[in-house]
Amino acid sequence: MRFRGSDPHTLAGAYAMDAVSEPDRAQFERHLSRCDSCRQEVRGLREATAALATATAVEPPVALREAALRAAGQTRQMPPAATAGVPGGWGGWGGWAGRARRDGRAGGPRRRGLGYPAGWPGPGRRLGWRPRLAAALACALAAVAVAAGVMTYGMQHRLDQAQRRDLTVAAVMNASDATMMSAHVSTGGTATVVMSHRDRALVFTAADLRVLPGTEAYEIWLVGPGGTRPAGMITVARRGQMVGPMVVSGLSSGDQVGLTVEPTGGASRPTSSPVLMLPLSSS
Amino acid sequence: MTEGQRGPGSGPPEPRRSGGPGGPGAADELSGLLTRVARGDEDAYAAVYDRTSGQVLGLVLAVVRDPAQSEEVAQEVMLDLWRSASRFDPGLGSATAWVMTLAHRRAVDRVRSEQKAAQRERRVATATIEYDDVIEAVEARFERERVRRCLGSLTELQRESVTLAYYGGYTYRQVADLLGVATGTVKTRMRDGLIRLRDCLGVDQ
Repeated sequence: MRFRGSDPHTLAGAYAMDAVSEPDRAQFERHLSRCDSCRQEVRGLREATAALATATAVEPPVALREAALRAAGQTRQMPPAATAGVPGGWGGWGGWAGRARRDGRAGGPRRRGLGYPAGWPGPGRRLGWRPRLAAALACALAAVAVAAGVMTYGMQHRLDQAQRRDLTVAAVMNASDATMMSAHVSTGGTATVVMSHRDRALVFTAADLRVLPGTEAYEIWLVGPGGTRPAGMITVARRGQMVGPMVVSGLSSGDQVGLTVEPTGGASRPTSSPVLMLPLSSS
Repeated sequence: MTEGQRGPGSGPPEPRRSGGPGGPGAADELSGLLTRVARGDEDAYAAVYDRTSGQVLGLVLAVVRDPAQSEEVAQEVMLDLWRSASRFDPGLGSATAWVMTLAHRRAVDRVRSEQKAAQRERRVATATIEYDDVIEAVEARFERERVRRCLGSLTELQRESVTLAYYGGYTYRQVADLLGVATGTVKTRMRDGLIRLRDCLGVDQ
C-alpha cells in the first residue's frame, strides 16, 4: 500500500542530516541504491555536515576517556561486513548507520493535522478521557442488559461473546500503558483509539463517519513493519451513529491504524487510499 | 596486545587534540588509525578517541543539550567506533564524516526516542521555543571561523533549515512546522544549503 509519494531525490539534504523519519529514510535508501549520482551527492553533503560537527567541539571530561578505553577493552569487535549487494558498497554505510536506529522510532509517517488535534490530550496525559470512555463502555453494557431482558438460550451465547469483548475493552482501557489517540477522518468524523502495547491490542471507536452506500463499508487496517493487516469492518447505517468499541488485537510495535472504504464484504488488501492514518505511540 | 606493544616507538597517540579536524593529512591519519582499530589495536583506539571525542561530545551536546545524557551518548558513540571500525570504508567518505555521521545519528536517536515522537511534535507545534535558542547556543560555540563564514553565505532560510535539522535534531517536517513553510520548500532549502556549504568549504566529494 502506498500512502505517500513524492520525488525522493530532493531528500538528499535532509537525509544527509538525519532529518528524516524512518519511512522516509527507507524510501530514500531504496532510491540511493539505484542512483549513482545521488550517492555521490550524499557523500559530499555528509562531508559538509561533518564540518558542521567539528565547529562545536568541546573539551571532554577526563573520566570519559578512561571509561571509553575501559569499555573498549571489554567489548568484542564486529567482523568486517560482508559486501552488501548494493552498487558501490553503499549498504556498508547506509546499512551500518541504519542499524543504530532500529530501537528509537522517529515517529513514523505523520500527516499534519492528524495525531493530536487541538484540545485532545496527548498520550502523556491520561486524566480526563477515562470518564468519557467509561461512558461509552457503560452504553455498550447497557445495550447488553437490554438484550438480556428478552433472553433466550441462543442469546446467552451471544451475550457471553459480548461480555468477553467488553472485558477485553476494559482490560485495554485499564492497562498501565493505555494511551488514547484521536484524529479526524478525512471524509468526515473522528476516530479515537485506546491502545496498549502490553496487551498488544487497541480499542477503536468512531463518531460522525460519513454514511456510505450499501455496497461499501469502512475497513480498519493495521499498517506497520509486519505488513498491512485487515482489522475489522465498520458499517455506518445512519448519520451520527457511534461506532465501536471494537477490539483489534495483534498490535505490533510501529503499527499505525488506517481506515479505507472497501466493498461491503471487505478486502484482504486496501483498494483505495486511506481516509485516516493514525500513527500510534511507540514503546 | 602484540599490535599494541609496538605503540611506544612507532605511532602512539600524540597529546590530545580536541579541536577541529586538524591540519592537512589529519583525515588520512584518522583513516589509518581506524584501520588499526579494526584489528583490535587499543593504542590506535586511544588515538582515535583523542582526535574525535571533543567533536563527538560537542555535536552530541548541541543536539541533546543535557550534559549527563550527552556524555552517555558520546560514550556509546566511542564504543561504536571501537566495535565497528571494521565497517569503515575509506572509499565511501572521509573518516571524520563516518565518525560524525555515527555521532549525529546516535544523538538524534536519543532525542527522538526520549520524548515520544508525537509529544515532541506537539511541543514543536505549540511552543515557538528553542529555535532561537538552538541557533544561539550553536553559534556561541563556533570555534571554526571557516564554518561560520560559510554558514553566513547561505540564505537565511537555508541556514535556519540546516541549523535546526543538524544541531536541533529535528526532522524536515518539524523544521517546516517551526519555520511555517511548506515541507517541500524545507527539503529544497536543506539540500541547496548543504550544497552551498559543501562548495564553500571545499570539502572532498
